[in-house]
Amino acid sequence: MADIVDIAVSNDDFNTLVAAVQAANLVDVLKSKGPFTVFAPTDEAFAKLPEGTITTLLQNIPQLARILTYHVVSGKLMKADLEKVDSVISVEGSPISIDCSDAFEVKNATVVAADIEADNGVIHVIDNVILMG
Amino acid sequence: MTNLKTKLPPSNHQFADIVHRLEAGGSMLPDTPENLMQIIGIYKAYAVPMDFYWRDLLYIAERIFLKPLPFFKYFLPQKYLDLPNHYAGETADLRIWRGEATAHPELLTFMEKGETSNLPKLAHHLLHDRINMEFAEACMRAMLWHGRDMGMGKFDAYLDTDEYRTNADQAIKAFFKKNPLMMGLYKLFPDMFVEQVRQLSYYSNLGLFWEVMAPVFFEMSDLYDEGKMTTVKEAMDFLVNGIFAIAGRPIYHHVYVDEECYEIIPKSKGFTWLYEAALPYVEAVFYRTSPFRGTKSYNAQAKQVPQQQQDFHYGILYADVFPVGSAGIPPTLLMNDMLHFLPPYLLEYYQQHCRGEDD
Repeated sequence: MADIVDIAVSNDDFNTLVAAVQAANLVDVLKSKGPFTVFAPTDEAFAKLPEGTITTLLQNIPQLARILTYHVVSGKLMKADLEKVDSVISVEGSPISIDCSDAFEVKNATVVAADIEADNGVIHVIDNVILMG
Repeated sequence: MTNLKTKLPPSNHQFADIVHRLEAGGSMLPDTPENLMQIIGIYKAYAVPMDFYWRDLLYIAERIFLKPLPFFKYFLPQKYLDLPNHYAGETADLRIWRGEATAHPELLTFMEKGETSNLPKLAHHLLHDRINMEFAEACMRAMLWHGRDMGMGKFDAYLDTDEYRTNADQAIKAFFKKNPLMMGLYKLFPDMFVEQVRQLSYYSNLGLFWEVMAPVFFEMSDLYDEGKMTTVKEAMDFLVNGIFAIAGRPIYHHVYVDEECYEIIPKSKGFTWLYEAALPYVEAVFYRTSPFRGTKSYNAQAKQVPQQQQDFHYGILYADVFPVGSAGIPPTLLMNDMLHFLPPYLLEYYQQHCRGEDD
């Protein structure tokens, strides 16, 4: 099986995410043993951000890394695991609220594809970039 | 067939219209040309003194630092008047305002003439014919004071780490290396000095926050004057998008001693504009601040002041906008500053409404 980064690279929907992860020097982390749970925003999700948002983040790598690590949780958490909890703590340190009562919702995003398994964890694809707070 | 029960009867609450507008995703104010004019005009009048505030806040945080007698901290040197705003001008990281990156022309004119005339700088200062930096400092102090439990930010907690203390210590020692008296005092009372540096970190924080807001407001005003911003919704969308675009801008605190930079809070800490500055600012300044020592005073013994700091509600949202003295940050200082920069259409409007010149 491939790791989290390989899966993202091989998929056409994650060009922005992959570029951001590379810019923030997080490739090695996400290729490590983990395991991690990654909430991966699609290119479309990044495109929804107001103009200039990505530019500012790419100019400021530590800040970009912080937003990205908010999308990562330590441990391999499948949808079935997440259904049992209200929130999980991100690698960034802030909590991510989870709501599976209706659709599978993560903060301000909805999961559009769940449980994509990788060697070192699992990916849930989301339709919005999620923000702390 | 299931018998659908009627929904709630139509509301006759006095604010039903407002609630329905907000629920439909509308703006707080009804979308009328008059409201739009007032919003844009007020933002414009706020942005000009704000252009002074952010420059001076950074000047104090970076250069005045721990000067024992900072008499001239409100006297901005040319270097800081020319300091390029990161979000305006041709050198911008992200150009929000199409204008220049240096101090706003209306600000420079006012600093020269004031309400009186071409007096020396010191006379303007003593006559209070100047920008009221005391207002900016009151906002900064509210943020420092409420500090810890402001949203999700990590700025305030960092001020209590050993890492911060070490960084501050290096800067303090460099700053006082030619001043044995102050160095001796630092050895005796280190905590007092570090606490002062914490306050200076908040100067930097608020300065970096307003550096962004000023060009956002200037651009809104220009778009309105050009007829390109015609609804309240457009104005609010522009504001929100502008805020998001620079949400990731770093918040840091650098100090310069003999042109050498000491990074008390380095950019690499990953502190962001939205979480470490904007949200704490809104919470501390809009909602809380401190009991205003104006013409109305509060008696804490009589429990007129809440015992828990979290229960404070003296923010600008609760302030009495008439100069009779009430809760809130010193609103009259800000209003006095804004009065100098009201656009002509708003001056005309105020003269026709309410109490005219008396307001």
